Amino acid sequence: MRLARHRQLEAVIGEYMLGTLRGGARRRFERALREEPAVALRLRTLQQEFTPNYSERIAQTPPAAGWQRLERELNLARYRTPWYSRVSFLRVWAVGVTAALLLSLSLLTLRTSTEMTLTPIAQLAMKGAAPSVVAAVSADRRTLQLRAARPIVAGPLQSYELWVIPEGGAPLSLAVLGQLDGTLQVPEGHRRQLRKGALLAISVEPAGGSPTGAPTGPVILSGAIS
Amino acid sequence: MLDEQEIRRLLLATAARDVDAFARLYKRCAPLLLGVAQRITRRRELAEEVLHDSFTRIWRAADSFDPFGAPVGWMTAIVRNRAIDVMETHDMARVDSYHAALDDKPEASLDQMFDWSSADTAEDALDASRLRAFLRRCLGELVAAERQALVLAYEHGLSHGDLAAHLGKPLGTVKTWIRRGMLNLRACIDQCTGNSGAGR
Repeated sequence: MRLARHRQLEAVIGEYMLGTLRGGARRRFERALREEPAVALRLRTLQQEFTPNYSERIAQTPPAAGWQRLERELNLARYRTPWYSRVSFLRVWAVGVTAALLLSLSLLTLRTSTEMTLTPIAQLAMKGAAPSVVAAVSADRRTLQLRAARPIVAGPLQSYELWVIPEGGAPLSLAVLGQLDGTLQVPEGHRRQLRKGALLAISVEPAGGSPTGAPTGPVILSGAIS
Repeated sequence: MLDEQEIRRLLLATAARDVDAFARLYKRCAPLLLGVAQRITRRRELAEEVLHDSFTRIWRAADSFDPFGAPVGWMTAIVRNRAIDVMETHDMARVDSYHAALDDKPEASLDQMFDWSSADTAEDALDASRLRAFLRRCLGELVAAERQALVLAYEHGLSHGDLAAHLGKPLGTVKTWIRRGMLNLRACIDQCTGNSGAGR
């Protein structure tokens, strides 16, 4: 059963936030969180209203070797080594596949845009899923193009809104869209935000876009600009 | 108080497998999160295990953090859930030790354990600090029994059964307190946010 339409949803979320939702009930709820964006959105809203800030007064000094243990068990060192010393068959293969993908994407872009060259800057994906929308920009960052693997069209009462989230900053609206495929003009003030480290995200909003200027609906796709 | 914007940035960088960011995230957040775990496990060695498991999970699940969500709240939820799981599997005679160890003054505990101040000046923290003030006010307006049940459950991760044993009340009564407490809290906060929206 879809939890999003369950009339007890509020009560279940309340017990989850409180910590009294246990065992199978909690696992079912956590599955619904992953599978039903409406449930995740409701939790996010309620968490903002109901989660108090713990005070620094309760802080305790962590064990001295705590970080070293994490570093060892998660084998974090391998994320620090220079790339040429961790080349292995699998990685070469992965790099090759990525290069082939990028090449085919750029060929696709070349074919579809007759006048300007667009460079892919981000792959937008649902949480834990394969990328489904590719964002590309022109060299002057005036034009942004979204290419969806399959058509994604908003319902009659909804719009999609594309946001750029600068590192450490608040989301800025780039465009309100009826479907996730097409070319748009980037607002002048936001062009310089389209750089490495920022995030692109697409949220579902009421028709015409977010009434508040900030995302109000669930984020369905996101990806970092690289 | 932890700087939410900074923690958000570190968490997003962690998702991108930036080990230095993850190290800074640990340094900033581990003391507070250890405190959260300790409130629930009440035993230092268990709290340390919970902290370790939680950071393992934070590293592995960082890419599922919602960039628009609350970063500290996200990590706190991981720690609380892990601590509750650990306590359930240990199934130690926790209720007995609770009787001795739990503070029975949820009023004092509320202001000891949480930070209700509105010192933030960052733009988008204004809303957060307003909501915090509403939450504190609304908790104050609850019937004492409901407030006590909610605070004990949240602070120490007590289940309905633990609460019933600790408070010496029937399970049904405790469940009703929790359910009604949450409903009343919800209604009060809705009223606050509705009123303040119309009043400005």
